[in-house]
Amino acid sequence: MAKVVIKDSPYNLKKAKILDVKTLTEKEKLFKLVFEDKTWLDFEPGQFIMVSLMGIGEIPVSICSSPLNRHYFEICVRAVGKVTNSLHKLKAGDIIGVRGPYGNGFPIKSLEGHDLLIIAGGLGIAPLRSLILYSIDNRRDFGEIHILFGCKTPGELLFEDEIEEWSKRLDIHFACTVDRADPDWKGNVGLITSLIPGVDIDPLRTYAAVVGPPVMYKFVIKELLAKGLPVDQILLSFERHMKCGMGKCGRCQIQNLYCCKDGPVFTFKEIMDMAEAL
Amino acid sequence: MKIEQYKLLEKSLLKDFINSLIPIANVYAPVSKGFNNYVFQNIKSADEVSIKYIPTIIPPKKFFLPKKENILQFFIEDELKVEPVTEYENLIIFGVHTCDIAGIKCLNMVLSDKPKDTAYLIRKKHVTIIGIECNDYCDEYASCSFVGAHMPTTGYDLMFTELSEYFIVHIHSSKGMDIIEKTDIFKDASIAQLEELKILRNNKMKIFNNEIPTERRYLPDLFDRSFNANVWKELEQKCLSCGNCTAVCPTCYCFDIKEEVDLTLKAGERYRVWFSCQLDPFAKVAGGHDFRKERSARQRHRFYRKFRYHIDRYGMVFCTGCGRCSRTCMAKINLKEVLTSLIRESEAKIWRKWL
Amino acid sequence: MSKPKVAFFDFACCEGCQLQVANIGEPLIDLLDIVQVVEFREVMSEKWDGEFDVSFIEGSITDEHAVERIKKIRERSKILVALGSCATIGGVNGMKNSFPLEEVGKYVYGESYKFFPTLQTKAVHQVVPVDYFINGCPIYQPEFITVLKCILQGIPYYVPEYPVCVECKLNENVCMYDRGLTCMGPVTKAGCNSWCINNGNICYGCRGLTINPNTEGFKEVLKKYNIPEDFLIKKIEMYNKCKELD
Repeated sequence: MAKVVIKDSPYNLKKAKILDVKTLTEKEKLFKLVFEDKTWLDFEPGQFIMVSLMGIGEIPVSICSSPLNRHYFEICVRAVGKVTNSLHKLKAGDIIGVRGPYGNGFPIKSLEGHDLLIIAGGLGIAPLRSLILYSIDNRRDFGEIHILFGCKTPGELLFEDEIEEWSKRLDIHFACTVDRADPDWKGNVGLITSLIPGVDIDPLRTYAAVVGPPVMYKFVIKELLAKGLPVDQILLSFERHMKCGMGKCGRCQIQNLYCCKDGPVFTFKEIMDMAEAL
Repeated sequence: MKIEQYKLLEKSLLKDFINSLIPIANVYAPVSKGFNNYVFQNIKSADEVSIKYIPTIIPPKKFFLPKKENILQFFIEDELKVEPVTEYENLIIFGVHTCDIAGIKCLNMVLSDKPKDTAYLIRKKHVTIIGIECNDYCDEYASCSFVGAHMPTTGYDLMFTELSEYFIVHIHSSKGMDIIEKTDIFKDASIAQLEELKILRNNKMKIFNNEIPTERRYLPDLFDRSFNANVWKELEQKCLSCGNCTAVCPTCYCFDIKEEVDLTLKAGERYRVWFSCQLDPFAKVAGGHDFRKERSARQRHRFYRKFRYHIDRYGMVFCTGCGRCSRTCMAKINLKEVLTSLIRESEAKIWRKWL
Repeated sequence: MSKPKVAFFDFACCEGCQLQVANIGEPLIDLLDIVQVVEFREVMSEKWDGEFDVSFIEGSITDEHAVERIKKIRERSKILVALGSCATIGGVNGMKNSFPLEEVGKYVYGESYKFFPTLQTKAVHQVVPVDYFINGCPIYQPEFITVLKCILQGIPYYVPEYPVCVECKLNENVCMYDRGLTCMGPVTKAGCNSWCINNGNICYGCRGLTINPNTEGFKEVLKKYNIPEDFLIKKIEMYNKCKELD
């Protein structure tokens, strides 16, 4: 057996340095990253990267910062498994491996000139934050922007400072709800679907971007269709267990689609006839 | 048929030919393991080889996409160092059937699709494929005629076909030519033998009949109608989810990526290993949700990967008709029977619409 | 940084899994570079009276003394590992649970059985919390090393959630059913690289039942091979009887 180093291997990694770690909730942390070789991660909102902790494993994570941010990129990670728990133990200055970006993000060019209805459930806010920050940075390119955010409990609300800021802006309609309130909670209580009927949108001018846990989609889509949104203007981002990120390993396949390559962002039209999608 | 591309070998000299390969490279050939099981194994002498064999337990895909393959090595001492690697060897696979050649062609399609799998392409370059044509069915599990894999077309360096007196050898690459030229045991072919080959191939058309009561071109339509077929529900009870059908499939290439450090805990390797859509962890995500929980859905997925999805993506049927999945299945899930049941069920639906 | 302190303890077992560790061969030198073995009755006479970073427990829990002893070891151990079938799933000791305790006592000790009070056999996790499981009778040495590395890295080890057949097929073994033998591979947890079958033996199911086995489907398969169902149930119970207590 001859062994060779193959620099052009698609599995090659770039070293990224953790600039800062911010604890958002009990389970989620926000990592600020920069490539060691000072190169720039060129991505679209909704795309993901593969994050490596050498010796432990590699996981897909969506990028949650604005693609226009030229100083660093961010990922928001929930500690649920081997790699994510290990990632939570890291601190500023530590080095991780990154490859990507992968997949199709939100179709920015199609969204421009339209109203946005952004619907996030729990950690689904992470990829959507990238889209939100992008649309705020390019506010003039978009019409009305509605953001609906739902969590199980107030303790699980992510990006609290930014939410506060978004809710104060006059050019953004922001609403938030929790499934179960605590005594200090003064906002809405109820599932995210309860916010949709009250949103004032022109369905034909609006693109909805929906990201959340698997159970959320069916109910949200139902409400959106009831609002009159066309099926190709409902954008969904799916979670699957991508291993290679290149449409080879088969792990993230949804019938004839690869979530990593054809998605993770799909229009409802693309997947509405697919039993395995939702 | 260009006569220059054909050579003849006396049947009694086949072993001499195989032995002539051994000094050139590592030679792998079908070897009997008993109980009608065969394995492509490294051979040291032609005496070990079973010229007549039914498809091996694992197809030759193991040489192209190894069961376990290091893709990165890393060192985490003071500074993190990561190197993408691959391992390869010069090898000759002797005795490959046309079904398995079809399988390799499927893998080539997927792994040279962008982004290219560089490690696969390096390994592929170092493999020489010497085929042996089947003049008759290996057994009742094969459905090579249905998918058109029963005749040699492309994808090999040399192809041996047994005629009455000789083996006639088709030279299909310069790599193949080099091997032929290394010995003086081959003779030039004459028109008579080419004629005999033509007759043999014509006869094969009679021997190999389409094993499934439909045609390949109707597959997309059949599968488009069959997503909710009862056939899948029946498989729910039968399937043991052992993953054997996918392990032995020449066109199944799904994998997992894992890694392990060595005992210093400071260095290690990341590797990919074969994985199967039939197994529990395959479609599970971090939160524990399994996107293909039922055995019926997993079996359905396997059949759609073979007969539907890849027709759209790569324009190819990803079944080679080798019959391995049916041969190996303890629960006796038989590919030919499943397809036939699908056709029956689908026909019934169409009739009902007319009635 | 000092090396993690590791100890080995035995309960009801044959001590064969510890022997596998002692006999691990070449990797032993590297292993001793990264851990300090402070107590291991089978290979050394020293004892340790402080805390253990990692305790490996071989054997199942079969009487009150054992219950007390394992609880004390648990209190002194940061990480507790069940080593081998007896510890992880109860193993062959579990066969005792098929009979009334009195009958078992009389069989072994005759009329004086009352002086030897006994309990139903339990796997270690059925008495105290267990952090890592190393299955097998005996344990498979490469898996022991893998788990030890995971412990030292502070990451979980996942026993494969699929049957031995998966690994067996990749090793290109002739299926035991083709040879006319009854093999437990289809319903047994993988992770042993089909060690037994590679060496010409059947799988006895020592690693325990795989998660989510298709029991009904397997019964159908047995019918096809003319294997009586109760024959298989006995085979399953040989190692898996304690599962009833989970």
